Amino acid sequence: MKNMSFSQKLVIALTVLAIFLPIGLLLYQSFLDAPFFQPEKSLGLDAYRFIFEDPDFKKAFLNSLYIALGMGIISVPLGTLLAFLMIRTDLPGRKWLEPVLLIPVFVSPMVLCFGYVVAVGPVGFFSIWVQQLIGSVPWNIYSMKSIVLIAGLTHVPHVYLYSSSALKSLGSDVEEAARVSGAGPVRVALTVSIPMVMPAILYSAMLVFFLGFQVFGLALVLGDPEGHLVLPTYLYKLTNKLGTPSYHLMAAVAMCIVTLTLPMVLMQRYLLRNAGKYITLKGKGARQATLPLGIWRWLAAAAVFIWLLITVFLPIIGVIFRSFVTHWGEGVTLAEAFTLGNYTSVFEQGNLIRGIVNTVLIGVVGGALAGICYTLMGLATHRKNNGWTRAFDYSVMIPRAVPGLLAGLAFLWVFLFFPPLAPLRQTLFSLWLAYSVVWLAYGMRLISSSLLQVGPELEECARVTGATPGQVDRHVTIPLIKYGLLASWLMIFMIFEREYSTGVYLLGPGTEVIGSLLVSLWGAGAIELVSSLSVINILLVSVGMGIALRYGVKLHD
Amino acid sequence: MLRTKTKRRLATTVATVITALLPMTAMAAKTTSYPADYQKIIDAGKKEGKVVVYGTTDTKAVDPLVKDFEALYPGIKVEYNDLNSTELYNRFISEVAAGAGTCDVTWSSAPDLSIKLVNDGHALAYKSPETASLPKWANWKNLAYATTYEPISFIYNKRLVAANEVPKTHADIQKVLSNPKFKGKMVSYDPERSGVGFMYIIQDMKHNKDFWTMANAMGGAGMKVYTSTGAMMEKISSGEALLGYNIIGSYAFMKSKKDPSIGFVYPSDYTTVMSRILFISKNGKHLNAAKLWTDYILSARGQQIISDKADLFSIRSDIKGETTMATLAKQLGKAAKPIPIGKETIEYLDQKKRLDFLNKWQGAMGTAKK
Repeated sequence: MKNMSFSQKLVIALTVLAIFLPIGLLLYQSFLDAPFFQPEKSLGLDAYRFIFEDPDFKKAFLNSLYIALGMGIISVPLGTLLAFLMIRTDLPGRKWLEPVLLIPVFVSPMVLCFGYVVAVGPVGFFSIWVQQLIGSVPWNIYSMKSIVLIAGLTHVPHVYLYSSSALKSLGSDVEEAARVSGAGPVRVALTVSIPMVMPAILYSAMLVFFLGFQVFGLALVLGDPEGHLVLPTYLYKLTNKLGTPSYHLMAAVAMCIVTLTLPMVLMQRYLLRNAGKYITLKGKGARQATLPLGIWRWLAAAAVFIWLLITVFLPIIGVIFRSFVTHWGEGVTLAEAFTLGNYTSVFEQGNLIRGIVNTVLIGVVGGALAGICYTLMGLATHRKNNGWTRAFDYSVMIPRAVPGLLAGLAFLWVFLFFPPLAPLRQTLFSLWLAYSVVWLAYGMRLISSSLLQVGPELEECARVTGATPGQVDRHVTIPLIKYGLLASWLMIFMIFEREYSTGVYLLGPGTEVIGSLLVSLWGAGAIELVSSLSVINILLVSVGMGIALRYGVKLHD
Repeated sequence: MLRTKTKRRLATTVATVITALLPMTAMAAKTTSYPADYQKIIDAGKKEGKVVVYGTTDTKAVDPLVKDFEALYPGIKVEYNDLNSTELYNRFISEVAAGAGTCDVTWSSAPDLSIKLVNDGHALAYKSPETASLPKWANWKNLAYATTYEPISFIYNKRLVAANEVPKTHADIQKVLSNPKFKGKMVSYDPERSGVGFMYIIQDMKHNKDFWTMANAMGGAGMKVYTSTGAMMEKISSGEALLGYNIIGSYAFMKSKKDPSIGFVYPSDYTTVMSRILFISKNGKHLNAAKLWTDYILSARGQQIISDKADLFSIRSDIKGETTMATLAKQLGKAAKPIPIGKETIEYLDQKKRLDFLNKWQGAMGTAKK
């Protein structure tokens, strides 16, 4: 850490603390046989022995692996392609498409899946229509294949986010060179544009792989009917299987997932060992021009539309439909079941209204604060390739490897047993910290993919003329990635709006957020409230996005 | 005693006591006598200013209780935390271990977890003056109270299940399961993942001689198991499933008021009855307010709201209405089987006993996969 200033060291130290307090607690817990805070406990490997001998663990692990791989195979190519079409080409309707295609990022997967059940479930309105048309329903949304397909399609926007932010700052000069030499749009995409943004793609592939192990809401709603178990639902099972929650078993499962992340990160580092290749924002300005698609134009538009139909419209229409009826199903007409009561009852409940306000706060203000923190961390490790930054790079991935529910519990412990934080436990700060740490890998990458594209010569220039490292950051690096930062804020806003499982244990009067409220409403039976609250949430985020896009934040151009 | 004590108080205070106690005593036919120094608890409670409740009941159902309590004791705010029973347990033991503030009262629908906490010494002993108006079993050692009387029922889709197909007893369930119409169309809690589901199944095992035959039939007919009551009712309402087994009656009742597709039956051979268990936490910071809340929930005034507005079924025999113990007693007679409260409630928290049962259960369910 020779060439690091005090403030940079401080940033790194604080981050490491925020990550390893909860993770350390979980690691310690996994080697015990009782809750770590109880006086009678002993060290040992019993927890690991139990889960490795449990056939359900194996089943859940294989299913999770299957989902993670399937998600990667589906979402990485599609997301990259989508980003290329949206950012670099003259695809029709790009302006209005962008906010729409990000919907799966900010709608809780539980709600999305519930929308699928209403639309294309065994008695969903679309299924009934198809049945009347062709006599049978040719799909089963509760099968493992459907789960993987839906998981894959709904994660396309995640990949899109990373690839598009990288593509945005890629000058058109290289693409134009290819076109001048006679390459068509497909060839340009495959041999020039996409290879140039490889770091972003690899990173998103890795993130999607991790998210594959996090698939909880989806498995809960679509996996239950046929009993498909995945690791997070297995964790859920462990909570109740022995009657009282068995933290040591849950922690052991989480540690197994964390262990998986190590080879992934090493592989990614190996593939990106020569990051200099990917610098796109150089001292010399590069103009961006859109690539004409020619005959491909309408074909591409049709493909995007089909994806949108399956991934966004079907489930969202399902949810909206559900929010306006008292009941539904075979033989129920819209006229007899129509109601506005699901909306009026949201506004009759104090906790739901507080939830809406808090969700906006945590998304807008919390998102901005998290963005600032991520930027500081990004700058602290920027252009420093030593053991510390390598360890740091790895560390930021770890929290996302722990399933949200358990991460939330670990944070509750941190706020309970780490005295400096104790007074903040029942405030929104606790929630914000948990969210920021859990989504560290996601947010850091948004920032660092912008940082990675700033050519070192620009910063060196400033340094040569006598600027201090702080001045370089303030006057050169940050202004250069300004749009990247604003876009990151928007992305963090969306992901914070959606987060649900992490907040469950930190929820209390005054700290309610929509995501966690949905989970508790779902359990007890108020499905109609889940629907109307989700629609309200979708509207809120859409308004937020609309404002952001209208004033300054540019997702593309 | 009473006179000499109250004489010393100001006239206004006396008036407050009377208005506070009137609604409770007026409706309770039995001898619900509040101690002479009850005003002390009220005053101390008001000084504390709030009571923190961790509960599993929906905020919406609790809201009328909260509002009425706050009207009865102005100055005491109710901070209600809606959690599921596992979260409640996790939060409670973590907070107690950290020595941080925890709730003053827990009010959970998972009797085993509640009784475990009480058994582990987390409850404050308090004899509610309302005890006399409750069934004897509802007060466990002055530590924990059963507060509701909710029948565990069968629910079905009224549009798609004919009246003569609706099962009325547990023996009927077995008959229904042999009908191909119900193959894969019955739902229930997963005892492996749902603590309450486990609790209800254990009651079945105690009361139903043919339990394992029924379980095998359930497995054979491809019964699907869930953790969320809401998800199950939604599936039955839409017709994806037709029949729900062991569903909490209060939720079914609430749902059927809004949703014409949902019908429910209290099985006439025996109906398991569950209670929401309330206890005061020894580590609470507002113990006087907690006592007031406990007494309020058990009082005739509170129980009337539990029955009329929260649809949770009153446990007091002197409360009238559709969702009360009195009405259920008329409908079910001796067939009502409350889940016992006491050491036997936590019998199946023994790891080996529990896993043995679950293995056997999984075996029965596995017959579907043949």
